[in-house]
Amino acid sequence: MNVTPRSLLICLAIGIPASISAHQDHVIEPVPAAAVAPTAPGYGSLGFEAPKPGTYALPSLGVAADGIVLDGAGTPRHLHDLMSGHTVLLSFIYTSCNDVNGCPLATYVLGLVQTPISAHPLLKDRVRLLSLSFDPARDTREKMQEYGNRFRQAGFDWQFLTTAGNSDLHTILDAYGQLTLPERDAEGRVTGNLAHLLRVYLIDEQLRIRNIYNANFLHPEILVNDILTVLEGE
Amino acid sequence: MIISVQKRFAHFVAGLLFGIAAVPAHADETCQSPYMPKIVGQEDFIYVWTLGVPDLGDGQDKLVTVDVNPASPKYGKVIHQVSVPGRNEAHHSGFTDDRRYLWAGGLDNSKIFIFDVFTDPAAPRLHKTLENFSPSSGGVTGPHTFYALPGRMLVTGLSNASDKHGRTGMVEYNNAGEYVASYWMPTDENLGGAVKSGQFADGYGYDVRALPRRNVMVTSSFTGWNNYMNNLGKVMANKEAMGRFGNTAVVWNLHTRQPKKILDVPGAPLEIRCAWGSFNNYCFTTTALTSKIWLIHEDKKGEWHSKAVAEIGDPKKIPLPVDISISADDGLLWVNTWNDGMTRVFDVKDPFQPKQIYSEKIGAQVNMLSESWDGKRIYFTSSLLANWDKTEAPAGEDLQYFKGYTWDGKQLTHKFTLDFFKHKLGRPHQMNFGAYSLYAQAPPANTLTAGQ
Repeated sequence: MNVTPRSLLICLAIGIPASISAHQDHVIEPVPAAAVAPTAPGYGSLGFEAPKPGTYALPSLGVAADGIVLDGAGTPRHLHDLMSGHTVLLSFIYTSCNDVNGCPLATYVLGLVQTPISAHPLLKDRVRLLSLSFDPARDTREKMQEYGNRFRQAGFDWQFLTTAGNSDLHTILDAYGQLTLPERDAEGRVTGNLAHLLRVYLIDEQLRIRNIYNANFLHPEILVNDILTVLEGE
Repeated sequence: MIISVQKRFAHFVAGLLFGIAAVPAHADETCQSPYMPKIVGQEDFIYVWTLGVPDLGDGQDKLVTVDVNPASPKYGKVIHQVSVPGRNEAHHSGFTDDRRYLWAGGLDNSKIFIFDVFTDPAAPRLHKTLENFSPSSGGVTGPHTFYALPGRMLVTGLSNASDKHGRTGMVEYNNAGEYVASYWMPTDENLGGAVKSGQFADGYGYDVRALPRRNVMVTSSFTGWNNYMNNLGKVMANKEAMGRFGNTAVVWNLHTRQPKKILDVPGAPLEIRCAWGSFNNYCFTTTALTSKIWLIHEDKKGEWHSKAVAEIGDPKKIPLPVDISISADDGLLWVNTWNDGMTRVFDVKDPFQPKQIYSEKIGAQVNMLSESWDGKRIYFTSSLLANWDKTEAPAGEDLQYFKGYTWDGKQLTHKFTLDFFKHKLGRPHQMNFGAYSLYAQAPPANTLTAGQ
């Protein structure tokens, strides 16, 4: 994997392992924190055994907020209509995001999780993936579908959504506590990148948020086991 | 003084880039939760959670904002204060994962005050007050550490509502301040699935820190309301009271919040600081009553252990180690000792063999310390607890200050002192860093680029 100096900088700040395989080593061989450049576990092995489904609880973190989005056909839809009756993984992304441990990570991991979900009899018809852009000006409906087609497996229930504009978008972002800020260059000019917290939400069939993932725990093994924990508890 | 737009934004962007990292990062900047953006450049502010003192100013607890950017014309000055109702035994505070809100607790009545620090980072305002910590949690009291997790806040308790001793738990909230769950510390009566590895399973609590890459969370243990709200002299003279201090650290499964292993760490282990290095699977704590540095570490088989690795000062003199701070490169561990007012720096590159390399007297009853991410700026405050501070000692012992220093790798250089009594503010406790750049805000036009 290419790791740019900037992404290195970002990864370092995350405090997660750099080498996808090397972090299996539990030996205490202290090394300076700044000597290693980590990428998120989602790109490789988890580094610890994922807790087994049903051995733990995922208490509700509250009701997932509603809002108006545009689906793949450009039709305005309520988020709740898209969520209801499904176990949902909801990610906020934008297609021009170049933070290796940000949106690309979210989409990459959701891409990976399709295979184990499709293969699991309890999961295959109950899980829906939703990726919603927080850059409606550039991420048009067409752009989102083109982007989604690169990651979605044939027939998998993964919808790439955008909004009609900033008014609809910010109603949703505010409700989910998703802060976005415009990045500027050294001269103060807007670069087009957005500073944001990576969060992916696990939402149950009753529209309750059951977990929120950042880069550290956004991994197919964790996601599948959490989904099973939610479904087996119902 | 004139400053170019380019220079102002250079400062601004540095912070914003790390806002993108967003996925990242800890009251001292090197000790914040790894889940929040951190300030790796020059901080603009320190938010000081301060205990009110009767007949001093308004007498109420307050969040005091100090300008600490050397480029600012207000450097070293109090620029804002916001009071909360009454005196609640203000103690610790912590940001949400998006660093927009600062949660601050009252150890006496268990109120939690949530401040908005993003609308105007120079002037935080009280956003919400949670008054149901104990009833909603099933009886946990004394909210201490506020530790950000993605989209939620984990709060450690110090005590409980029934006997007010040290049996306690952790309480999880969502970022809106709605109760999610309680996790009681494991005891002999209810180990909760944990393995008791030594003599103790006391169920006490204090601090929490996480090593996400190992799916591990570590908690420490102090004492209950009956002790921390009592006069320190009376506590120390009471054998039964002295027997009610924590002797454990607990290793938890971070993802499931289930206790895995109870480790003996006798003598009231307080602050926990985990290493940042990707292969450094360990955390430090210090014991208040026995004056030792302890290492909580994982071995080659994935088992966790505790080991006393150094003494702090002369334990016979009870230096009383309080706050500690680990440097961002895991090379140094700062240790404050309250009784003698000293700070000590240990070289911990070999975590099993810390070596003291520096010490300096900061002032009577030094307690908290916060270092910048680059380790070049260190801040100190006094005040431990309202009833433990040296209020009965000879004049000059009950000092209440905020002090700023620079660190060049060899020694501290004093930059400024704020007398919190003289300014009628109160007893300063925990500090948290703030910066305009976290929120894509530019500093005032008369602020120079940091370093000029």
